[in-house]
Amino acid sequence: MANEGGIQATIEASPDEIYDIELEHSLLEANEKLAKENRALLDQHGTTAIDFMGAIGSGKTTLIAKLVEKLKGKMGVAVFNGDATTSNDADAIAKQNVPVVQIATINGCHLDANLVGKGLRKIDIDKVKLLFIENIGNLICPAEFPLGSKARVVVVSVTEGPWMVRKHPHMFLGAQLVVINKIDMAKAMDVSVEDLASDVHKLKPDIKVIPTSCKTGEGIEKVAAALLAV
Amino acid sequence: MHEFSIAASLVEKLSEFLRENPDKRICEVRLEIGELSHIEHDQLRFCYESITKETPLEGSSLKIDKVEAFVECPHCSYRGRPKYWDDILAGAPVVTFQCPSCDKTVEETQGKECAIKSVKFSQIQPVPS
Repeated sequence: MANEGGIQATIEASPDEIYDIELEHSLLEANEKLAKENRALLDQHGTTAIDFMGAIGSGKTTLIAKLVEKLKGKMGVAVFNGDATTSNDADAIAKQNVPVVQIATINGCHLDANLVGKGLRKIDIDKVKLLFIENIGNLICPAEFPLGSKARVVVVSVTEGPWMVRKHPHMFLGAQLVVINKIDMAKAMDVSVEDLASDVHKLKPDIKVIPTSCKTGEGIEKVAAALLAV
Repeated sequence: MHEFSIAASLVEKLSEFLRENPDKRICEVRLEIGELSHIEHDQLRFCYESITKETPLEGSSLKIDKVEAFVECPHCSYRGRPKYWDDILAGAPVVTFQCPSCDKTVEETQGKECAIKSVKFSQIQPVPS
């Protein structure tokens, strides 16, 4: 009896007819591969990329703007602004006359290496020594998606309350630098900068924590120095 | 909701398996998810069920094995399970990178997995006519 082509029926298998195969396959592999490609491209051009992560309103954009202001006269800088919908952040930085790429994730909750790779093709990397990548305001999802940056910075501000570090511990484990922002508001918020820093150090004892205020300028110089040292 | 991207990547890989093996039907998929990954198991299951609805993968069961975190200390050579922050106000103790032995920063050696471990399938047999 010849079997004609095509599936003719489905028969439920009994347990002894079920086969098992090992299929080692990482589900994050695609992003990790692209992140490595981004990193190789950046290294090849002598560019250091820094990924800024933090909640909405933690002050990532203002901090980046202050750092750009401080560093743009000394070296080529560029900024990628990730945002779900608006170009507010990109517009704010573009005023400083440095190359800016707006990455709209639409409904996405994090930047991924593919989007950053597309951004890298839009700028003249040879002229950029330091690339700031502002991730989406989200303290969970970006942790799983490396972008190819050399360091990840978490920005947490006192206006988010005293428990921000405890509420999002995983984000800090993967970071190389933590900025505690808006310290000029600490007293009004009744939030202790020292307690926030101590929480970070409980999670990762050796990590550098820099308190900043974009309003008074305190700590900005230290953040710039830390980024140039990564 | 990065669980959706992960579920989509899982379905893509399984569909690829089915394209290469059109005579097989997937009954069960076993994943390994590390303690240090930020993946919510129930959300991942929900996303998987939603994406596979009305596809050849519908009804396949998703089993998730949790992989424990292990760390290694570059300062004092400690190797083993990480230190947990017990009174962190979270629903469960949280892994820290503080060395249980010398209090300095450790590095992870295991626990970030997010992978398909194995697939159970049955053979679709043509009915003799």
